[in-house]
Amino acid sequence: MLTTLIRRELLDNLMTFRFAAAVFITLLLVVTNTVVLIKDYERRLAGYNDAVKMHQRQLQETKTYSAGEVYVDRPPNPLSIFNVGFDKRPGNEVKVSHGYVPSLWDADRHGSDNPFMNIFTSMDIVFIFEVVLSLLALVFAYDALAGEHERGTLRLVLTNPVRRGHILLAKYISAMLCLLVPLLMSLLFAVILLTNSAAISLNMHDFLRIGGIIFASVAYLSVFYLIGMLISAAMRRTSTALMLSMFIWGFLVLVYPNVTLAVIRRLEAPQARTASAFNQIEQIWEAFDRARKHFLATDAFPGEDWGLELRGGGSRHAYLWDDPRTLLYTYESVMNFETLGEEDEPKIPHAQNHFRFLGRLVTDTANQTWLIRKPALEDIFVKPAKVESAWLKLSPIGLYDAATQAWAGTDMLGARDFFNAVRQYRRQVINYLYDKDVFGSREWFSADKGAPDWSRFPQFSFQRVDTSINAKRALPDVSLLLMINGVLFIIIFLIFIKSEV
Amino acid sequence: MWHIAKRELYDNLNSLRFALAIVLLIGLMLTNAVVHLHEHPKRIQVYSDGVTEYQNHLTASADESLYRLAQKGPGDLYKKPSALRFCAEGSETDLPGQAIGGLLRWSTDRLESSWILAYPPVDTSLGNLRPDVTLVDWSFIIGYVLSLIALLFTFDSISGERERGTLRLILANAIPRHTVLIGKFLGALISLNIPFTLAILMNLLVISTSSDVHLNAEAWGRLSIIFFIALLYTCLFLALGLLVSARVQRSAVSLVILLLVWVSLVVFMPGTLAAIAGDAASPKATHGFYERSWQLHNELRDQYRSRWRQARGDSRKKIEVDGAYVSKDAEQQAHLHEERLKQQISQVNRARAITRMSPVTIVQHLFESFAGTGFERHLQFLENVKVYAREYREFVLDTDKADPESLHIIGVRAGMSQKPVSPEAVPKFEDTLNFSKDFNTAAIDLLLLTLFFVVLLSGAYLAFVRVEV
Repeated sequence: MLTTLIRRELLDNLMTFRFAAAVFITLLLVVTNTVVLIKDYERRLAGYNDAVKMHQRQLQETKTYSAGEVYVDRPPNPLSIFNVGFDKRPGNEVKVSHGYVPSLWDADRHGSDNPFMNIFTSMDIVFIFEVVLSLLALVFAYDALAGEHERGTLRLVLTNPVRRGHILLAKYISAMLCLLVPLLMSLLFAVILLTNSAAISLNMHDFLRIGGIIFASVAYLSVFYLIGMLISAAMRRTSTALMLSMFIWGFLVLVYPNVTLAVIRRLEAPQARTASAFNQIEQIWEAFDRARKHFLATDAFPGEDWGLELRGGGSRHAYLWDDPRTLLYTYESVMNFETLGEEDEPKIPHAQNHFRFLGRLVTDTANQTWLIRKPALEDIFVKPAKVESAWLKLSPIGLYDAATQAWAGTDMLGARDFFNAVRQYRRQVINYLYDKDVFGSREWFSADKGAPDWSRFPQFSFQRVDTSINAKRALPDVSLLLMINGVLFIIIFLIFIKSEV
Repeated sequence: MWHIAKRELYDNLNSLRFALAIVLLIGLMLTNAVVHLHEHPKRIQVYSDGVTEYQNHLTASADESLYRLAQKGPGDLYKKPSALRFCAEGSETDLPGQAIGGLLRWSTDRLESSWILAYPPVDTSLGNLRPDVTLVDWSFIIGYVLSLIALLFTFDSISGERERGTLRLILANAIPRHTVLIGKFLGALISLNIPFTLAILMNLLVISTSSDVHLNAEAWGRLSIIFFIALLYTCLFLALGLLVSARVQRSAVSLVILLLVWVSLVVFMPGTLAAIAGDAASPKATHGFYERSWQLHNELRDQYRSRWRQARGDSRKKIEVDGAYVSKDAEQQAHLHEERLKQQISQVNRARAITRMSPVTIVQHLFESFAGTGFERHLQFLENVKVYAREYREFVLDTDKADPESLHIIGVRAGMSQKPVSPEAVPKFEDTLNFSKDFNTAAIDLLLLTLFFVVLLSGAYLAFVRVEV
């Protein structure tokens, strides 16, 4: 019986204009946007490759260790085509040095990016689905029950010995099958385009992640179909059901996400928190500066000049440097001598001694301030962002967005994974500097007896997290979507059972 | 005709969509007003802090010496926030709020770099982890929500009557078809404008009663222009609704078509077109900007090395070479910054020109022009900054010429006037908005919008004339 019902509904839906229109518009939007998005990704990848090359070249050309600026670049995520999330926003190059612990807030942009282009909204495939699929689901659902009611065919169907639950199920399944056609077809085209691009290589894990995105899309689609069905079951007339569905769509998709944040944004980060944390950090660095000066005053070499009056050919500079907004504080000293004079030779053991002491002191101070800086950054930047995204999740569109971001790895945690890897890399670098006694070497400040061997320096590599971790991050949002589905279905069932035909 | 319009109006006033439209529009407009009242004083605070800092910087330099003024430059120049920002946010959060007038790039024992104008990127977006959303301004409420409501008001105005058979009844009277169409159009326009005008009035009421935001006569003039643009824009969508409704037999099909057209035109076209246009441009040239900057600087230093050697012993000549070196360096670097800015702007301009194919973008551009926000406004600000920079440089030159003790070699301490300057005499930067300039940039957009409307309305007329009842 159920199969007969499903077949009837399926034929009803497939032969309609709206089905053809749904397939056409979804395909059109997804295919054009995928082409554009792939080009955009290729451009970002080229920018990344250029930046990596440039940074490597600059490092190779550096003559002393202290002048060496180790930059690490963030590769673009190919799955950002599905949901761009935080892939474009945080900076994509960050300097690794012993002088501070790098975080998301210390990163900068590649030189090839045009910051003005941010004024345009960036598209992705999930955004298209968010808007179009939800609209189509409602267009398919508004007359599912109210239409039959109006035409009187519902009475006809119920004269047969069918259970009302079966009618509902048949309608749901057949409409979902119809709606899956544009969804799956457009995704198929998108994946074909992706695999044809030379710049993008998807591995098995990426296909699993795309599978996760598809599952979340189906759950999202189903939520909106059920919302439409609920309206259709509660309303007697199709025109009322249609109007109500459109306004609810407008509210959930257009209005709610934007209005909530406009209201929530009023909770600004407390200024006092920033000030007090910065104050603490400042004090630690002031203590550092005292220790540094004390060392210079008490060591065997007379005078308090940090450069120990070396008179070589080259440049030198040293300063304390801060940015109160991101709580950054660091000491930078660079000595870049290509030649040293005869009279400098007796000073060199002193200089080595001094720089060995200084390097270790700077590293320790930086690590110490990170203990204060890390929780403060969490409070100032991450917490408000988390509150805002939690509010957005009150609408299914927010849940869907969060779930697909988690699968694509472009969510907040995904963005921060990179910076965790950078901090890991910094520890490696520092271990290398300690092991080789680089701080105390002659190459730290002078190139007169040979330049540093940069090829031995630790290399940075970044792997996106495992698929299972993506799945774990997406799980809460996907299960909430599924729960909404279940609740909606039960409500529709109860209304439909009680309704008079 | 008025009879039909009245009938249409009464029909609509009792409908569910009218009630929902009122609730939605008023809710949005009130949110907009409340958020603006909360945000605007903060923006004003940031601006006035910036201006104070700029003035202090200027005074400190002027009190020291003319050389200090010539070397340090005027300091950071701030963009004045618009009081009408609630009409169009204009992606102001993605645009920098200041230009850097004076940047110490290098210093040696003898020489310091001379100031140049630099354009900072927006650094707030880098550390921003907050979810990305469109802000609720008038251009969003009108561009997105009102256009959707306009379609919902008209999708069944002809096809629905045909379905019910009442169209035949109307046409049986001796009324020409175009009168029927215009009547329907006017009826829909008036019934849509009741909630819209009500919402706008409430919004303005909330904003104008607050003491934090002052709207002067010019602002009210701008607001009324914005209101008429909004009317024109809704007319466009009403005409589109009538066109499809006249062409299609069933209202359900009409709605599906209209929704899909709306989604493509309003939601997707701006973003997709911007991405396509942005992609066509090559921002590659700006890559390695800082590296290029240092390279130029080093090359220049190497060039001047021999000239310094020649000038050894001759102190006057040495100062001349120093001055030439510092000015040449500043000129080179300023040129580099200008070039980069020009490239970035031309990329954005190309993208903006192409996105004009979508009516919602046209309306956004128009709103931005008249609200004094957005990219065009930013370009105006940059223009103001450049004019001021020229004025400032001329002031330094003239003051130096007036000092008989000075050697008139700009850029070097020993070659310039060492006397302090009265801070009042130094030209001050004041960011201003130019109404006629705004109007000029908006003219083409206005024309385009009218053109869209005329085409759609005549399309609706042709479709309705040929329709079989």
